[in-house]
Amino acid sequence: MENKRRLFLKCACATAVGAVGSTKLIAAQSGTKTDDTEVEVNYALIHDETKCIGCEVCVDACRETNNVPEGVSRLEIVKTGPFGEYPNQYFSFSRKSCQQCDETPCVNVCPTGAAYKDPKTGIVSVDSWKCVGCMYCIAACPYQIRFINPVTKAADKCDFCKETRLKERKSPACVDACPTKALVFGNLKDPDSEIVKVLKTTPNYRSKTDLGTRPKLFRIAAKNGEIKL
Amino acid sequence: MNPFHFDSLVWHWPIAIYLFLAGISAGAICFAVLLKHFKLGKNAYKSSFVQAACLLAPLAVFAGLGILVLDLTKPFDFWKILVFYNPTSIMSVGVAVLMIYQVALFSWLACLFKEPISNWCDHRWPLIDRIFNLLDKHEPTITGSLVMLALSLGAYTGFLLSALTTFPMLNNPVLPMLFLVSGISSGAAGTLLGGLLLKGNPDSKEVHFIHHIEIPIILFELVLLFTFFIGLIISGGQSQVAAFTALGEGFWGWIFWAGIIVIGLTLPLAFNLFMTASSKRKLSYVAITASCSLLGVLLLRNFILYTGQMTVA
Repeated sequence: MENKRRLFLKCACATAVGAVGSTKLIAAQSGTKTDDTEVEVNYALIHDETKCIGCEVCVDACRETNNVPEGVSRLEIVKTGPFGEYPNQYFSFSRKSCQQCDETPCVNVCPTGAAYKDPKTGIVSVDSWKCVGCMYCIAACPYQIRFINPVTKAADKCDFCKETRLKERKSPACVDACPTKALVFGNLKDPDSEIVKVLKTTPNYRSKTDLGTRPKLFRIAAKNGEIKL
Repeated sequence: MNPFHFDSLVWHWPIAIYLFLAGISAGAICFAVLLKHFKLGKNAYKSSFVQAACLLAPLAVFAGLGILVLDLTKPFDFWKILVFYNPTSIMSVGVAVLMIYQVALFSWLACLFKEPISNWCDHRWPLIDRIFNLLDKHEPTITGSLVMLALSLGAYTGFLLSALTTFPMLNNPVLPMLFLVSGISSGAAGTLLGGLLLKGNPDSKEVHFIHHIEIPIILFELVLLFTFFIGLIISGGQSQVAAFTALGEGFWGWIFWAGIIVIGLTLPLAFNLFMTASSKRKLSYVAITASCSLLGVLLLRNFILYTGQMTVA
């Protein structure tokens, strides 16, 4: 009996040490992984809210290009307002779509690896075959932009038109469709690209950076129209 | 706001039931192990309460997994979770723990029921004898692993939710501890209730033993709940908003104060203390206490899941 108890304790300790060790190992691995993915291309997007007129042409272009079914959407323009007195009234517009985080909560929680960050382009995408529809990524995304595609039954979201327009070496559909040139798409690693020039010279902000997501959807703020404390 | 339908809601009640069942399974098997090692010894399998725990643990885990699979948008693709693993995903790690837990669970059950099964087999199949000998030799190892795995499973139910940075109330370091402890208390309640259904004696030493452990567990659960919400409130920002939304007026406020605090924790604690003082255990007392406890834990899972998803960071 004494022997058994000793063995039991030994075994329990070994399991505990093993569990702690494996988590350390995983942490070490993921640490080295981010160093390896130093790539030449890291796509990002700017939404210039001072230029946006809320026409939603981008929303339609996205739906058409990426075959997004009715009832769900990869891209929305959120309208607030109106502000000011007639006749000088105005709205403000904010883009609601995947922020293409560098530190991805969705990829971290996906149990099968269906949510992944493409190492060549830095684009966060979904492998709809691998996705089982547990909806963990939908809950984990602080921007709440993921949805279940009613046709594929897999999680879906904006992937900068990776499977459609980027393959034809064109800009994403929303960027091309915008009549006021409020969207700038480009490679953050290319110092001569328009996006890098704009970001270096124009004050901009990103959403919910305090959560450590390091989003790559940059926003240029329009006038506020209201005071929020 | 409708308590069951709001914009930020992603996971519905099936997930709460799954978390509840996984917790019961982990808790019940912990009590079966404790009863065997500290009270009953070799004849543990004859006790109705141990039998109830041994039935409850596998059934609850199967039912929970079944609910989880049916809740997927692609239920027939569930095997992909078992084939593809992501070490950074709590769900993936949890599935691995669940699989190993089931192996340890059935090995331990085989060790426990070795005598009746061997007698029934009557040495007709040499392979079964060999398996039993092997399991018997490694019983301490199996028991140790099973307890560790059960505790991991109980904590996993909390980690699954606390990994969600979106929701400040769920993204809380106390949550895994709270779910582990409430899971153990639901396992105790399930074991007692099941044991009574299997015609166990409500004044037996098993019941005394479980009740003695239950009192400190309930007190600890109250402390954890207090820490959970005070922690949220003093964090400020959206965490504070989340705590006040959850505890304030409305449907879920009632569930918390009346369902969880009064029925789920205070009543069982009072009954347990009363029964310890009077040292007489009647069937109705034990059954009512256990039912209150079980209901409280089920409500707690639903309350945390729903109110947790109400406030976004």
